[in-house]
Amino acid sequence: MANIVQVLVDAIALGSLYALVALAIGLVFGVMRLVNFAQADYITIGAYALVVPTASVTPPLLLGALPAAVMIGGVLLVVVVLALLTERVAFRPLRNSNPSTLLISSFAVSYFLQNLVMLIHTGRPKSVGIGQSLANAVEIGGVRVPGVQLLTMVVTAGLLVALVLFLKRTPLGVQMRAAAENFQMARLLGMPANRVIALAFAISGLLSGAVSLLLTIQTGTLDLRMGLMPVVYGFFATVIGGMGSLPGAALGGFLVGVASVLLQTYLPADLRPFRDAGVFTLVILILLVRPQGLIVTSAAKERV
Amino acid sequence: MKSFAVAASAAIALLLPSTGVRAEEPIKIGFAIAESGWLSNYDSAPFKAAVMKIEEINKAGGLLGRQIEYSVMDTKTDQARAATVGAQLVDGGVDMLVVSCDYDFGAPSALAAKQAGKIAFSLCAADPKMGVQGVGSLTFTANSAAQSEGIAIAEYAQKKMNLKSVYVLEDLTIEYNKSACAGFRAAWAAGGGQETILGNDTFKNDDPSIASQITRLKGLAKQPEAVFVCSFTPGGASAVRQLRAAGIDLPILANTAMVDNYWLNAVPGLKDFYLPAFMSLYGDDPRPEMAKFLESHKARYGEPPVSSYAVLGYSLIEQWAYAVEQAKTTESEAVVGVMNSFKDQPFTAGPTSFTDQLHIQVDRPWLIMKVENGSFHAVEVYRNSFKPDMKLLFRVGQ
Repeated sequence: MANIVQVLVDAIALGSLYALVALAIGLVFGVMRLVNFAQADYITIGAYALVVPTASVTPPLLLGALPAAVMIGGVLLVVVVLALLTERVAFRPLRNSNPSTLLISSFAVSYFLQNLVMLIHTGRPKSVGIGQSLANAVEIGGVRVPGVQLLTMVVTAGLLVALVLFLKRTPLGVQMRAAAENFQMARLLGMPANRVIALAFAISGLLSGAVSLLLTIQTGTLDLRMGLMPVVYGFFATVIGGMGSLPGAALGGFLVGVASVLLQTYLPADLRPFRDAGVFTLVILILLVRPQGLIVTSAAKERV
Repeated sequence: MKSFAVAASAAIALLLPSTGVRAEEPIKIGFAIAESGWLSNYDSAPFKAAVMKIEEINKAGGLLGRQIEYSVMDTKTDQARAATVGAQLVDGGVDMLVVSCDYDFGAPSALAAKQAGKIAFSLCAADPKMGVQGVGSLTFTANSAAQSEGIAIAEYAQKKMNLKSVYVLEDLTIEYNKSACAGFRAAWAAGGGQETILGNDTFKNDDPSIASQITRLKGLAKQPEAVFVCSFTPGGASAVRQLRAAGIDLPILANTAMVDNYWLNAVPGLKDFYLPAFMSLYGDDPRPEMAKFLESHKARYGEPPVSSYAVLGYSLIEQWAYAVEQAKTTESEAVVGVMNSFKDQPFTAGPTSFTDQLHIQVDRPWLIMKVENGSFHAVEVYRNSFKPDMKLLFRVGQ
């Protein structure tokens, strides 16, 4: 019994992480119809901001050396500024072009950022020892919950609630939802397009920054490609959740995380190497049954 | 990197006029290696050490009385480019081609050398396909087979650490890990019986979490006495961090790719972590030739090598130069003939053997190292007695 609860905790914790990433992708997709693959590099750069940018394999801490609150604020700020910068430079000038042009632009941004990190930090993985106390596990009724898993769940829940409140209760949030629903109409009705889109990028930067920190506390390592897998999973999550739907993105994130852990846990040893194939099969099955995703937004419906 | 070449040729140019007329054409070594892209981090340390050896040889009067010149071309961690660059260097008339530290990225260059009948020597590929059965009979690697890493640590754990049971955590991302794990399992089963491997689990290097693997390990009816993690950084470091964070304080055994201190920040306070290494960079290697290598490196570059893989590059030049001296020519067939006759030939990296079938080491002694107080420490030199057969080396019929 304890084992099943343990598996569930593992599953929900991983699901939470993917949900955060999926929300970051979904938010930008909602207002801009842009699948931003540079999201992976936001996560990577947020994590690398913890150390001094040098070619050394054992760099001294930069933001990581600051008190926890300042460190968290610093990392979030770096990623938010980066997200806003990429929006201004690479996406705003292309806003009226084809979504596939935007997609190509996001690949270019991603490629550029990745090589920038490689240039400054070299491609060698580095390690960073922050939040060790958080990484340690606590036993709750026979169930082992690593602090970072607990933290991931709490942070995800907190950010989800905050995001929902923001979208429902604030004028800017309402404008953002309107933009997601029908961008042209919202614009005609006086929605400040630049501000709303910039805000969507800022929030997605904030979420990515949170993922940077959670990932780094969990793994203790920095790597060029560290953001890639979470973003690939996050992208699947937004697709099965329903492109453009935020509850869908969160739900999708939980689903892929849970599926991944359950497959890893219950597949026989010989089949375990094919865990990812299992998750992707699930994605395909869901899309076959519900091509629009699990939660369909009215905006998505119009586009069929 | 280019500045080295310039500096070396400048040095040669300075030397030549003083010695009068140029006796003979210099011997040429080409390096088709990654100077950019992710592989450059693995190629650069052994490359610098190889350059150091070339300079030492030149200073001591050269090889067969001829100076060695070298040229470097960047493969940019690109397989197609590796082939082109290899062909260009071969066309430029190199006598031997040094290729990247990885089978997949080194083989295209090695193939170009093979077609021109030149020897290709990989800096540190751990796959026996970088040899007779893969690229061809003119191809060598300076490293040991990955299987041998797993074998050495399995034997050491059983014989010297007296560990009776183990759990294997295998990173499936690259073939290197699978080979190390295959070697480990074979040697462990041979020494302690298949049933003492209490379980196997797999993960991917970029998995954000190995929580479910930890849950399975913790849920075993009988807990193992050790865990073998065959992986590489960063995923391997992340796995060790998560194992320790989950309160698994068992000895952790690992393969060579996890060597050197740079990742230890990820697991503050790590201890009881053991692996087979080439050498210690931290001044406690029991073999005097390693201390000498370390000193020379510090004198030449002002710092110790960034990775202990460096010694393989140094030894690569040493081995080839020795064979050239013996053969009294740089002609490929003659040199390969001498190299194939190496039997525990003493070189800096350790006793080296090649045969006409195997161009990789399978039982070169390893320096067993352990982590304590935030650093790797040398424990002792250990040589595995279990030797992998061809089936295990090429992982067929397993």
